[in-house]
Amino acid sequence: MTGAYLDAAAAVPPAPEVRDAMARAVAELWASPSGLHPHAAGPAAALEEARAEVAALIGAADPDEVVFTCGTSEARALAVTGLLSANRHLGRHAVLTALEHPAVATALLRLAADGVTHTTVGVDHEGHADPTALATAAGPGTALVCLHHGHHEVGTLQDLGALIPAARGAAPDARIHVDAAETAGLLPLDVRALGADAVTVGGPAMGAPAWSGALWVRPGAGLHPLVGGGAQEGGKRAGPQDLPGIVGLGAAARLARASMGARAAHRRAMGERLAGLLVAVPGVTLNGPSPHRRVPGNVHVSVHGVEGETLTVALGTRGVAVSPGSACTADAGKASPTLLAMGADARDAHSGVLLGAGDATTAGEVDAAAAVFAEVVAALRAMSPVRP
Amino acid sequence: MTPVRVVDALGAPCPVPVRLLARAMGRVAPGQVVELLADDPLIEVDLPAWCHARGHRLLELSRDGARWRGLVRRGQPGGGAASEAAAPRS
Repeated sequence: MTGAYLDAAAAVPPAPEVRDAMARAVAELWASPSGLHPHAAGPAAALEEARAEVAALIGAADPDEVVFTCGTSEARALAVTGLLSANRHLGRHAVLTALEHPAVATALLRLAADGVTHTTVGVDHEGHADPTALATAAGPGTALVCLHHGHHEVGTLQDLGALIPAARGAAPDARIHVDAAETAGLLPLDVRALGADAVTVGGPAMGAPAWSGALWVRPGAGLHPLVGGGAQEGGKRAGPQDLPGIVGLGAAARLARASMGARAAHRRAMGERLAGLLVAVPGVTLNGPSPHRRVPGNVHVSVHGVEGETLTVALGTRGVAVSPGSACTADAGKASPTLLAMGADARDAHSGVLLGAGDATTAGEVDAAAAVFAEVVAALRAMSPVRP
Repeated sequence: MTPVRVVDALGAPCPVPVRLLARAMGRVAPGQVVELLADDPLIEVDLPAWCHARGHRLLELSRDGARWRGLVRRGQPGGGAASEAAAPRS
C-alpha cells in the first residue's frame, strides 16, 4: 500500500545495516550462545558485540551492566519488580509520575498485593512533572522512584537534571528508574552522569526492532530477575536470548551513535512540519509541548468532534498509518489516561491521535498525510451526529 | 580492597552466582577484587569452596539480613590454592 507511514512510535523500518545484521543472525547464529561447543562461539560473540554497542551508546562503564529483554515493556517491568524485590530493606513505597508507561504502572499495581504502596505525582498541562512535588511525594520508606525522559505518547521531555536530585534529596537510598526508551539513540544519554540506578532503552526510537529492549542496571543497585533459573543476562533474565532482535538492537545502537544529531534533526524537522500542517485544520490542537521541546518526530493531536480510533482506521484506509493515543494501547478504545492527567476534558481524551516521524519519513509523505488528514477529518465530522 | 567489579547475583539460585562470579573473575587482573552480592544462602558453602578450588582469595563473606556480600581477590594464574575463607559474619 502506498501512502505515509507515521507510526514510528510503534515500529520503524530497519535500516539496511540493521536488517542485514538480523538476517545474518537468523541464518547463521541459530545456536545457543550459552553452549559449551564450537557452535556457540559465533552467537556468543555477536551477543557481546551488541551489548558493547548498547553500552557505548548510553555511556555504561561496562557492557555487563546491560541486560537484554524482549521489548522495552519487559525492561520497565523488570526494573520496577526487580528493584523493589531486591531492595525490600529500603521500604515498600514507590513514587511515579502520572505519565509513566503502563508497564511501570501495572507492575506497581500488581505489587500492591505484596504490600507495595505508591504515590503518583501529577503533571502540568504539557506533561511536565514538578521536582518539588516529587520531593514531597518521596521520603523515608520510599524504595523506588519511576521517571521517564521522553513521554511515549505526547512526547514531553522531562527535566531529569532537576527531578533526579529532588528525588535523591528526599529519599537518598531509593532506587531510581528512568524510562529512556523514547529518547535513547535520538538524544544524548550518559547513564553514569544521570544519577539513576536503572535505565530502559531500545526499540523504535533507536531504530531497532520494536521487540528489542535493554535495561541498564547500576552495579550494586540490586535487581531480582522476573524470569529466574539461568545465568543468561547476568542472571537477570533467564532463558534463551532473542539473538536476531539483540543483534538488530546492537546494529541500531552503532548507527545511532554515529548519526544521532542528524537523526534527531531530521525527525524533529518532519515532526514540526507535520504539526504545523495538522494544527492548521480547524479544531485540531497539539497536545504536549511545542514541537522543538518534545521527543523528535513526535506529534500528538486531539481532533475536536472526532474519535481517535475512528480517525486512525479511516486514515489507514487512505494509506496513512498513525495510532490512536499511545502506540502500546492502540486497540484499547478508551480515553487516554495521559491526556486526562494533563487536564484534558473527556471528549478530547478520546480524540487523541499519535503520529511519529521516523528516519525514513520524507517531506512528501508528511505533506500527503496532512492533506489526507484534513479530508478525512472533514468527512468524519460531516457524518457525525454530534457535530462540533 | 576496593572492588573493581560488582556481580549482582541477587535472586539467582546457586550455582548461578558462582558462575557469574567466575565470568567476572576472568575479566579482572590477578590481585584485583570482585564484589559478589547474593541472596541464596547456599552461597555460604559454595563461595569458599569455589575460591579454594580455583585459587582465589576470599577476603570477606558477610551477611546483612537475607543478603550476602563476598569480596574475592583473584589469584595468580597457576598459583594454586590461595583462598583463605573468612568466617561468615552475620
